[in-house]
Amino acid sequence: MIEVLRAGLCDLVMDLGRPGWGALGVPAGGAADPPALAAANRLVGNALDAAGLEITLSGPVLRFPLGGVAALTGARFAATRSSGAAVGWNETLLLAAGETLTLGRVESGCRCWLAVRGGLAVPPVMGSRSTFLPASFGGFQGRALQAGDVLPGGDGGGAVRRLRAQPLSFSETGGVRVVAGPQSGQFDDTGLAAFFSGSYRVAAASDRRGFRLRGVPVTHHRVELPSQGVLPGAIQVPPDGQPIILGWDGPVTGGYPVIAWVITADWPRLAQLRPNDTVRFATIETEAARGLAAMQWMIEEWA
Amino acid sequence: MGKPKTGQHQAAWRWVSERGVRVATGEATLARYAALVSLKLPELEDMIPADGSLLLVFRRGQTASAELLAALAASQADAPTARGKLHEIGVEYGGEAGPDLPALARRAGMDAATYISGHATVEYSVAFLGFQPGFPYLRGLSPALQAPRRASPRVRVPAGSVAIGGDYCGIYPAGGPGGWHIIGRTDAVLFDPQRAAPALLLPGDRVRFVPK
Repeated sequence: MIEVLRAGLCDLVMDLGRPGWGALGVPAGGAADPPALAAANRLVGNALDAAGLEITLSGPVLRFPLGGVAALTGARFAATRSSGAAVGWNETLLLAAGETLTLGRVESGCRCWLAVRGGLAVPPVMGSRSTFLPASFGGFQGRALQAGDVLPGGDGGGAVRRLRAQPLSFSETGGVRVVAGPQSGQFDDTGLAAFFSGSYRVAAASDRRGFRLRGVPVTHHRVELPSQGVLPGAIQVPPDGQPIILGWDGPVTGGYPVIAWVITADWPRLAQLRPNDTVRFATIETEAARGLAAMQWMIEEWA
Repeated sequence: MGKPKTGQHQAAWRWVSERGVRVATGEATLARYAALVSLKLPELEDMIPADGSLLLVFRRGQTASAELLAALAASQADAPTARGKLHEIGVEYGGEAGPDLPALARRAGMDAATYISGHATVEYSVAFLGFQPGFPYLRGLSPALQAPRRASPRVRVPAGSVAIGGDYCGIYPAGGPGGWHIIGRTDAVLFDPQRAAPALLLPGDRVRFVPK
């Protein structure tokens, strides 16, 4: 078990999500950077899809009464251990009984993932332990963690291998990669030029449901569109021309025209966006995007 | 990328992003959905029926198998053969439960009682679910009762609200923001993730509203 001494801004229990319920209006959800959570799980000897914590902007203080094996991946946060040992990212951490892990503010980026050996043993809902905040189910009682919560699990035994992980690398300067269209005449040249050459700011009203962008409006023909199925990463353009990137917990259908789709391999970049960040977009071919989609982190023994 | 329409019963389809194929299904959305579900195609992670189209969601790195391509090229009957389950949904119309009823009735040039009976005498069918888990898009609304969505969405619509949006009727399973006109409320639980069948209404089901 793990005791939450102080909660972070929004600590959510996440696994790799619950795909397969789209026909009921339920998105797959799950960790915003699935390869990062999967890597954290491998570092502690878990199955890739075990439940861990997704931690946003400011982290929690967690006590491990029985000790444990943990790993952090994703954005770096200010972090300390009560033992005084350093808190490394992307490596296996051994926590002594009674030890406390304190996560402060994020240093750059937005989200990190904490895996613990044995996984967090919250009850699965619709086949997943991921929190779905918009409808308050899954995860720990359908909500973000609060001080005083006691998380079940996190005490799997067995031999410990100390491992290190190599994150997938991204170009920091290149645009977020998108597959364009299909536009089917919904956007004119001016609108397309504005979108693909412009830079957009992430508005404060952005969360796991979607990122609201502010910048040069993307003009388009106001076609009334029938509702159509959408995926995380779909970039919708409402009548005001300010694009919205659908997030992991966004709706499964939408009626706004979609100008482009963020490729699956760049979800990890979306996961690290925070309000006021600037985003630009660059196109990539569908086949290339598919080849990148299945990439996982490299894990190696820690000599 | 997409396949041109070569026969009137074949589905036109095209890639959207690298993980989705959108199939134009017209009136046969649910029949096509049922046919593809029955194939249990391993490359697919999900299928999302919507208004005249079906989105096939591929697992990471996967692409369409020959079996899927053959299924998309096969002709499809225009309507599902089995009729969905009929649900009777009790509704408290108007008053606090349905604040937009007077304005909608006025717009339609009728009194509230006529609007209610117009709404409650028709049998609706669930076209698809979306927006929120378990939110049904119901087809069958009489043209006289239709109204474009509200110019400014409400910040909070109570759970169970029965609403009009364009030519659709819908029911909000959970409280939250909403842009449709609220004409009444039901205490039916439309979505409960702990139930064996989380959504009360499934695509293809039929709905009749019963005034309380």
